[in-house]
Amino acid sequence: MVKPAARLILAAAVLTAPLAGTAQGTVEELQASARSQHLAEALPWLRLLHADLTLTGGFRSEADAAFFLSPRGATDPQAELDADLRGFFAPPPTDKDKQHPQCQFPARFAWLNSKLHFDFSTLPLQPCPRFEEFYQRVAARAVTAIFSSYYISSPASVFGHTLLRLDRSEAPLDEKHFELLDYGVNYSATIDTQNALIYAVKGLIGLYPGNFNSMPYFYKVREYNDFESRDLWEYDLALTPQQVAMVTAHVWELGSTTFPYYYISRNCSYHLIAALEAAVPELDLLSHVGKLAYPADTIKALNRVPGLVRAVRYRPSIRAQFRKRVEGLSGEELTGVARLAEKPEAPLPAGLSSDRQARVLDAALDLVDLRHARGLILSTDPEAMRLKQQLLERRSGVPVQSEALLPEVPELQAPQRGHGSIRAGVAGGASSETAGFGAANLRLALHDLLDPPTGYPELSQLEFVDLQIRYQPRGRTLWLDHAWLANVAAIAPLDRFVQPISWWMRAGAETLRDRGCPGCLAGSFDMAGGASLAFAGEKLALFAMAESGLSAAPRLAGLRGAPVRLAVGPSGGARLRLGDALILLGTARWQALPFANPHSFFELEFSARLALPGGLALNAQLIGRPTGTEGSLGTYLYF
Amino acid sequence: MRKAICLAAVLLTAGAVHAAPYGAAGCGLGSVLFGNQPGFIQVVAATTNGIFGNQTFGITTGTLNCGSPATPAGAKVFIDANREALAKDMARGSGETIATLTSLTGCSDSKVVGATLQKNFSSIIPNEKVSNDVVADNVLSTLKADKQLSCTSI
Repeated sequence: MVKPAARLILAAAVLTAPLAGTAQGTVEELQASARSQHLAEALPWLRLLHADLTLTGGFRSEADAAFFLSPRGATDPQAELDADLRGFFAPPPTDKDKQHPQCQFPARFAWLNSKLHFDFSTLPLQPCPRFEEFYQRVAARAVTAIFSSYYISSPASVFGHTLLRLDRSEAPLDEKHFELLDYGVNYSATIDTQNALIYAVKGLIGLYPGNFNSMPYFYKVREYNDFESRDLWEYDLALTPQQVAMVTAHVWELGSTTFPYYYISRNCSYHLIAALEAAVPELDLLSHVGKLAYPADTIKALNRVPGLVRAVRYRPSIRAQFRKRVEGLSGEELTGVARLAEKPEAPLPAGLSSDRQARVLDAALDLVDLRHARGLILSTDPEAMRLKQQLLERRSGVPVQSEALLPEVPELQAPQRGHGSIRAGVAGGASSETAGFGAANLRLALHDLLDPPTGYPELSQLEFVDLQIRYQPRGRTLWLDHAWLANVAAIAPLDRFVQPISWWMRAGAETLRDRGCPGCLAGSFDMAGGASLAFAGEKLALFAMAESGLSAAPRLAGLRGAPVRLAVGPSGGARLRLGDALILLGTARWQALPFANPHSFFELEFSARLALPGGLALNAQLIGRPTGTEGSLGTYLYF
Repeated sequence: MRKAICLAAVLLTAGAVHAAPYGAAGCGLGSVLFGNQPGFIQVVAATTNGIFGNQTFGITTGTLNCGSPATPAGAKVFIDANREALAKDMARGSGETIATLTSLTGCSDSKVVGATLQKNFSSIIPNEKVSNDVVADNVLSTLKADKQLSCTSI
C-alpha cells in the first residue's frame, strides 16, 4: 500500500494560504464555485492547459488528447475544468495501466484545491503509486535551467539546447550536492529520419511529436560535455518549495502528452519555459521570448526576472577541461602530452616529480577523450580504446590523487549576456559604380564574426535569413542586395594537439558585382574548407580556405554561355578582437570562373564593428571588387 | 564488442506499456543515447530522449528499465553510463564520478575510495574489452572488500 504522501505534501503546499471560503462538497458545488470565480479564464489554469489565445478570441492548446479529460478540452478551458473536477471524484480505475485523474493531473488538482478548498471527506484522495514513486525518486528541492552551448556540427543543436534539472538539494546551500544524480527534464522531438533535409522540413512545420522526458542528469553531462564537447551553463532558480513541488507535478502531467514540435518556434526552449510558467504562475517569461524561440533567449528571459537566477554555474566541456589541464605545463611537459596521446608507452620527460607526471598523464588522457570521444563512447575504435586503456593503467600507477580541476568561468561567453537574436540595421554609403546608396538589413538569426562578441563562441558564425535591400537616390532604384538563407562559418584553430578543419558555407541569392551579369540577382551556393591559427586566447585569428561556388541567373554569362557558373579559388583573412567591443575583420578572395565571362573575380573586404550599450553596434565597411569600390557606415540594433 | 544491445529494444518498445527489464548492461551510455548504427549520430540531439516516450504512465525516466540510482543496482547503472569518465577518475584517484559513486555506495570517504580504486585499477579494468557489467561488478566488489571504507549500500 503506497500512501499518497507526495500529493499530500503538494496539497499541503498549496493549501498554506488560510482557508478563505468554506469547503465545498459535491462536484456540482465545486463547478459552480469555479464558475463564479472565473477560474477557467484565470491565467494559471490556461497555462496549466498550455492554452493560447487564438486570433478569433478563443483558446487552443496544442497538447494531444491525452492531456484532457473533456473531448473539447483543447479548445474549451471551462469544459476541461468541469471535466477534471468530475474526474477527481471518479472511483479508482479498474485498469491498472490507467491513472486516476488526481494522479494524472496533480498540478491541476493542487491548483484547483488552492482555489476551491476541496473537502476530502466527500472527495477522497486517491493513492497514486506511480506519481508517488516518481515524486520521491526525483525528490526535487530546487530547479535549475540548463543551457547546452551552441553546437555547430549538428543541425539540431546549432542554436544550443535547454533543459531543466530537478535538484535533490538546494545547491548553493548544501555543501554536498551530487548533481549527476539529479533528474534532467528534456523536451525533444521524436524523429524518424537521418536525412537532414527531411528533418529540417518536417521540423519546421511541426510534423514531429515532441515529448517531455526525464533521465538522470549524468546522461546529459556525458552526452554534452564528453560526447559533443559542449559547455553546460546552469542557472539555479530561486523557487519556493511549493513552486518546486508544482514544477515536479506539472512535469509529470506533461510526461504523458505530446505536442507538435516546431524547430524554431515551439521547441525545447519554448516548452520548458511554458512548463515553468504553468507551474509558477507568478513568472512572466514567454512574453519576453519572441515567436522565434532561440534557446539563449529563454535563458535571457530567466535572467531578466529580478532575483530569479540565484546562481550561475559552468560545467566545462572536455575541450575546456583539456585546455585547463595544459595550462601551466612546461614546453617539455606539453611535448610529453602530445607524445603520450599518440604513444601511451612513450617516456615521460626526465626528472619529473610524481606530481608533475600525474599532470602530464591527466592532460594526455583528456586529449585522448577529446580526440576520440565517439570511438570511445560507442566503442567503435579499438585502437583508441587500447590507447586509452594503456594510459589509464600508466596513470593509475602514479600514486597521486589529482586535485579538482576548476576552469575559470568564461564570462565573456555566458549566453545570458549575448546580444539579441534578431538584428536590424541601416547604412549609408557610396560606391564607384552606383554613387550614393542607402541600405536596410534584417537578419533573423543569430551571430556573425563581427557582432558583439559577449555571449557567443569567439570564432563561430551562424546566420539564418539575412536580407539587405538597397536604394539609390540617383535613378531612384531599389533592389535586393542579398538574401542569404544560411551563412555559417566555424573557424577552428589548429594547434599541436588538435587539427580541426575550418569551414564556411553560404546559400541564398545576391546581386552580382562583376561583368558576368552586373546587377543580376543570382542564386548561389558556396562552400569552403581550410585551416586557421589563433593567438592571444583567440583574440587574433588567421584563416585560409579553398572555396568553391555555384551561381545561377537567367542572364548570366556562365559555363560556355549557360546561365550557371562555377567559381573556385583561395580565400583568407584575419579577425582581431580589441577588448570586449571592437572587432576588425579583413578577408580576401580570388576566384577562377572556368569557361565563363569574365574568367575571374576578386573581392577585398575590410570591416570594423564597435558594440555599444543598449543592443547597438556601429559598422564600417570597405569593399573592393573588379568593377569598383564601395564604402559604407551603418548601425545595427539587436533585439 | 563490449557494447550494450538494448537500443533496438528500446526503440521497439517506445510507447509500449511494459518494457522488458534489460539489466544494467542494456543501459550503457552509447546505447541509451546514441545507438549502435553508423549514421545515427547526426540527429542525435533531437532523438535521444524520444526513445523513452511512454504515453500511458506519465513521464518516464532513463533508468526505468535499469534500476534506480539510489540502489546498488543504481550504482551499476551509474558505472555503466559513466564508464569512460569513471575510468579516468579511477586512474586519477579523484573526480566527480568518484564522489558520486561514494555517495551511491554509502562509502565513508571519497578520498579513500579514490585511492582504493586507483590502486586496484588494473584488476577493475584489466583490459579495454571488459564489459561495463564486469567493470561495475569489479568496482563494487573492490569497494566492498575494503573494510576501511565501510560502504553501507553495496
